[in-house]
Amino acid sequence: MEGEAVIQELIDVLRTLLFPGFLFFVILGLFFEWIDRKFYAKLQNRVGPLYTGPWGLLQPLADFVKLMAKEDIVPEGAIKPIFSSVPVFALALSLFAALFLPVCGPQGIVSFPGDVIVLAVVLTLLVILVFLGGLSPASRYPEVGAERSVLQLLGYEIPLVASILGATAMTVGLGGSLSIEGIVNAQRDWWSILGFQALGFAIFLLAAQAELERVPFDIPEAETEIVAGWTTEYSGKKLALLRLARDVELAFLCGLGATLFLGGPWPGPLVPGLGGAIVSTIIFVIKSIVVLLLLTVIRAAMSRLRIDQMVNFAWKYLVPLSIFQLLLAVVVAPLMIHLLTL
Amino acid sequence: MSNIVDVPVGPQHPALKEPLNITCYVDGEQVVGAKLRIGYNHRGIEKAGEYQTFIQNLYIAERICGICGIVHAFDLAQATEHIIGKEIPRRADYLRTIGLELNRIHSHLLWLGVAAHEIGFDTLFMYVWRDREVVMDVIEDFTGNRVTYALVTIGGVRRDLPQEKAEKMLRVMDALEETVKKYKEMCLNEKTIRMRCDGVGVLRKEDAIALCAVGPTIRASGVPFDIRADDPHAAYDEIPFKVVTYDTCDVTARILVRIDETLESINIVREAIKKMPSGPIRARLPRAVPVGEGVGRTEAPRGEVIHYVRSNGTDRPFRWKVRAPTLANLLSIPVMLTSKGDYVVYIADVPITFASIDPCLSCTDRAVKFVDVSSGKSWVWTFSQIKRMYWKDKPCWRERP
Amino acid sequence: MPIFREVLRTAPKKRATLLYPFEKRDVPLDYRGRIEINYDLCVGCGLCVKECPSQALELVTLPDGKKKPRYYVARCTFCAQCVESCPRNAIKSTQIYELATYNRKAEVVEPCGTSR
Repeated sequence: MEGEAVIQELIDVLRTLLFPGFLFFVILGLFFEWIDRKFYAKLQNRVGPLYTGPWGLLQPLADFVKLMAKEDIVPEGAIKPIFSSVPVFALALSLFAALFLPVCGPQGIVSFPGDVIVLAVVLTLLVILVFLGGLSPASRYPEVGAERSVLQLLGYEIPLVASILGATAMTVGLGGSLSIEGIVNAQRDWWSILGFQALGFAIFLLAAQAELERVPFDIPEAETEIVAGWTTEYSGKKLALLRLARDVELAFLCGLGATLFLGGPWPGPLVPGLGGAIVSTIIFVIKSIVVLLLLTVIRAAMSRLRIDQMVNFAWKYLVPLSIFQLLLAVVVAPLMIHLLTL
Repeated sequence: MSNIVDVPVGPQHPALKEPLNITCYVDGEQVVGAKLRIGYNHRGIEKAGEYQTFIQNLYIAERICGICGIVHAFDLAQATEHIIGKEIPRRADYLRTIGLELNRIHSHLLWLGVAAHEIGFDTLFMYVWRDREVVMDVIEDFTGNRVTYALVTIGGVRRDLPQEKAEKMLRVMDALEETVKKYKEMCLNEKTIRMRCDGVGVLRKEDAIALCAVGPTIRASGVPFDIRADDPHAAYDEIPFKVVTYDTCDVTARILVRIDETLESINIVREAIKKMPSGPIRARLPRAVPVGEGVGRTEAPRGEVIHYVRSNGTDRPFRWKVRAPTLANLLSIPVMLTSKGDYVVYIADVPITFASIDPCLSCTDRAVKFVDVSSGKSWVWTFSQIKRMYWKDKPCWRERP
Repeated sequence: MPIFREVLRTAPKKRATLLYPFEKRDVPLDYRGRIEINYDLCVGCGLCVKECPSQALELVTLPDGKKKPRYYVARCTFCAQCVESCPRNAIKSTQIYELATYNRKAEVVEPCGTSR
């Protein structure tokens, strides 16, 4: 019996490290960056990455390796422990969040009742890391970027959490629990996006764009305004890790969108045995790519907003809409379902 | 107002294509004041011009600015012809006009792309630059190169425009008109562009006049000031065109002025091709220019350009002075970047406000001033002092004849 | 939001860029590229050398006592003033524009090759 337990433990460790854990998400993140760049280029009538690997597929990896080899400079006035640990924590947090995603089945590697709340906390913690990373080098552009990132957080955090909770509330109404697994299983026959959640999905897309700091919400790292915003002073290995963290976060948020609104891996788990895991993974990745392509179209078709306009927009439209959406999901939808089933 | 921080934009900054320093005094996200510093790009072109013949100077003048290439060569040729005092063939005037207007079209489209990039709209930037390529191809077809045209020479132009090339040019102009109208529609209706540009970088009419702004900058403040109309040169006296003005005084007005001017330029090219008389394209003028001084002025895409040339009877100018339009427009930047009452400038507005005058600093930096930063003392170095300090051992410096 | 329409319309289009070193664009016949000097026609008057704005041409004396221009490609600005100045039409512009080289000597065209 002991041997079996050890093997089970070993499998769990491998699952966390290789598939569908860290390695998988690192590769997925780099792949998603490639898709993002390639599709963005396509929308702009360009080619995008081309020479590294087939169709430039290895370009994000090449960028990562190149940055790893570059000189690593720490500014003299920086608070070194914070400055140096931010990239590591950013990557660790993104990877940790990714463990919750139901990649090869209705259940992630880590799954417990209430894990949705943990995810919301992790998303906020990532922004706090950005703030620390911007303040610690004691330089002017990062400081402005850090202030902007927190201001921006005030704008989009409530809509983001509300849209996540909206997806949860629906399943709770159906008798599920406040967990990713519950949300996924509740969408077995009927994806959330097809019902009341379409509005929630739109809000989620905009908020995710802000969380990822992409146009029109790339305000904290606005290139033409404040050089590279809070990442200005980062170089070498630290910048490489930050970029990797950003890629993993991109993959994670696309996956989260697919999980909450597009039914996650369903109908993959219907296939029995190992085939089910493979089919689920493929379906999950395809759904995430759909979310990614939507994000890329948003990025291509807008110009950067000003921070005051962003916060204005968020509080005038996004927050009321998300609260309305939440009410719809919590009160109206269960009531209607209740009436229909009567 | 206690926490005022100075945020330097430049001399090295992604928003700037050329070195210049804008020190923004910032309170939170608001800019409460700005100070400009230029002179990072002084190349000594005017001095170099004194060692070269008038013909050679045409090609140096063309390299004062890469984007308005033909303008400076045309202006220098105009100034030189002013000294010589001979008329040039009419056909050459028309060909010069076509060159100037093609240059304006490409410059305005290039600027539209840069402006889109400054507000983070990279897709529009890519589209505009893609469509600008057709103008570049027409220019290459006409003059033999995409950027440095080498079209103008003293006494006329160097290349004729044969019938088939003119027809091809007209076809391209038709297609281009459609494209430019599409972009006008896009800039007027795109929500995020309007959010970033409306009411940003305001330069009121009286400020624009007081600060001697030129070109699209002053026309966007509602002043119809255009050298092509006020002092017609080349063939502008025979070609009717409208001086575009807008009076909202902000960045949107500057975008619209430039787009409308592009449409006007397309019409001018058409009209010029239609009205162009036949005849010779250049008059043979003497290489040695008689004693005297001449002035040439024209409307570059960015505003008025003035060239002053003084000759002492040799084939080289005694003095050559260039006033590029950006130098006139730079003065209005600190005004645009200062919050006053209801008018609030954010850090995010700095790049697009600065870009809205279409700055070209390599044209602008004509003079340098030596300042000892620690003591604040400034002085003038004479040429022989500089030579003694820096070119002591370098024989490459040719003595003035 | 007209740009959304434009973006989606652009997506299926073929790319507008060229894969430059592999695909080359045509330049017009009268393009001002690298100049070519016909040393058979050249009489060594030195007008091109005098008018060149970038000192890319230099008059050298050959062993037989004749003077011919030497051409420094790297200094040339391709204004083609020499083409115009030459009284014997010995210089002409070509369509060659790919002039980068690892060999500095290749950038200098020596006036040998004369048959006279």
